[in-house]
Amino acid sequence: MKTNYKKIAVDGVVKNNPTLKLVLGTCPTLALTTAAMNGIYMGIAVTFVLICSNVLISLLRKIIPNQVRIPAFVLIIATFVTIVRLLLDKLLPDAYAVLGLYLPLIVVNCIILARAESFASKNGILPSAADGLFMGVGFTLALTLMGAVREILGSGAVFGIKLWSFQVGFFASSAGAFFTYAVFIAVFSLVSGVLSDRKKKRAFAEKSAIGITCQVEQQSTEVE
Amino acid sequence: MANDQVLYQYSSSPHVKATRTTKQIMIRVCIALLPAAIMGIVYFGLKAALIIALSLISAVASEAVYLLIGKKTIKEIIAQFDFTSAVTGLLVGLSIGVNYPWYAPILGSTFAVVVVKMLFGGTGKNVVNPAVTGRIFIFMSFQAVVGAWVIPNIGAVGGLSVESGATVLGSVLNSNLNGVSNLDLLLGTGLAGCIGETCKIALIAGGVYLAIEGIINIGYPIIYIAVTGLFTVALNGFDFAYFLPSILSGGLILGAIFMATDYTTTPNTTLGNVIYFVFLGLITAGLRQATHMEVVSFAILLGNLFVPLIDKFVINKPFGFIRAKKVKENKNG
Repeated sequence: MKTNYKKIAVDGVVKNNPTLKLVLGTCPTLALTTAAMNGIYMGIAVTFVLICSNVLISLLRKIIPNQVRIPAFVLIIATFVTIVRLLLDKLLPDAYAVLGLYLPLIVVNCIILARAESFASKNGILPSAADGLFMGVGFTLALTLMGAVREILGSGAVFGIKLWSFQVGFFASSAGAFFTYAVFIAVFSLVSGVLSDRKKKRAFAEKSAIGITCQVEQQSTEVE
Repeated sequence: MANDQVLYQYSSSPHVKATRTTKQIMIRVCIALLPAAIMGIVYFGLKAALIIALSLISAVASEAVYLLIGKKTIKEIIAQFDFTSAVTGLLVGLSIGVNYPWYAPILGSTFAVVVVKMLFGGTGKNVVNPAVTGRIFIFMSFQAVVGAWVIPNIGAVGGLSVESGATVLGSVLNSNLNGVSNLDLLLGTGLAGCIGETCKIALIAGGVYLAIEGIINIGYPIIYIAVTGLFTVALNGFDFAYFLPSILSGGLILGAIFMATDYTTTPNTTLGNVIYFVFLGLITAGLRQATHMEVVSFAILLGNLFVPLIDKFVINKPFGFIRAKKVKENKNG
């Protein structure tokens, strides 16, 4: 069976975007999007854990008994989270300090467990790795964009570079996090809804052209 | 069959209708806010007038723009305009300080009207009071930048004048009565504060006008204010010296008369309203004591969220209604 990598990519980044479409992993999304850079740090950490845990779970998917699969998944995820924590502490101490509690909380991040359960435990190694990569990219993009918007409005800066002194403190607060998240989901649904409508209409137009001939043929066979 | 056929006209409730429209009510609320606005301009100068005007215009304009985007014609928008956004704009303008930057009232009013009111379905469908939310938006966004409150141009009539930018409420909360006379608190002379909140007598005049017009039930704001005062007294070891300063300082009177009594965000029943306003009073006094901050707007926001819950459990008994007794099922039968 040939796997469709393009479909995995589109699913991960757009169609099943973990943050904006599946609304998974909201806790780090709300807490860490005060700055664009946080989104990139968190995104990289989550992507790394996703890829590694997806690969390992996919490798072990025939060995892990079905009844204890969740503890087994969590154990694998926790191993990689520990690796990420130690690496970040050594390589990027600033990022480690900013991410704080949310780094160990990746263990219980719904995105990783959901991908392990619904994709990695049913697919081969390479598709699972691709799924982890693109889900991680979707998560990183959403977090970075939200972080950028909140940073520009809330502290007048982007990626830590001060743009102007005008700032609306509301967007830096937690109430602003919920508001920005809601607006992002709304805009995302609007855009994807418009796009899928257009696609459906085009498909319908093509289908109806073929459909008429099909119907005619069917009727003629029924008469016979 | 045809002889004994009587024509009954059937209609659903409400059966008793008043001729008063939302527009007329909201115009009266605007009139009731005028004394406070005028006193604010007298106390704080033309900058106050500018802030009120900006807030008012941006509230009305943002509603119109929202409807324009929603593909309404200008004629429809003018026909639909019912002064609710004007009231929101006025309240937002009155509830902020005079030293805020010019864009603060614009952003606050726009947020209040577009996000809190229009996105939830327009007038009468908002979950929380737009003006309160707009005020909180401005408070969260710009308070840290702006810092201290401004003292009005007119000095104290009797007693001590507060030199620093701290509000009297701040001193009261720090268990320091500071020697400010209650007369000054009532008139707002020589006291730092928001544009519309300093002159209590103007607010009370507006409240009395609304009560005479039958727009608000004056009992409810009184419950709110009294419960706040009494609970503050109780929290300070039953020292009644705290009663008047606690109710006359801060935004309690503005909030109680104009913000908490919003029709959309109050319960439907009398008992529900009493519960709601007592709840507001307890929250206001308790949170003030705990946070050492002015919390009236936060208390009203919190109370608004409880309104659907109150309405769910406090229901008027229909006339002649007898609750059916639960009959135990006879298992043998």
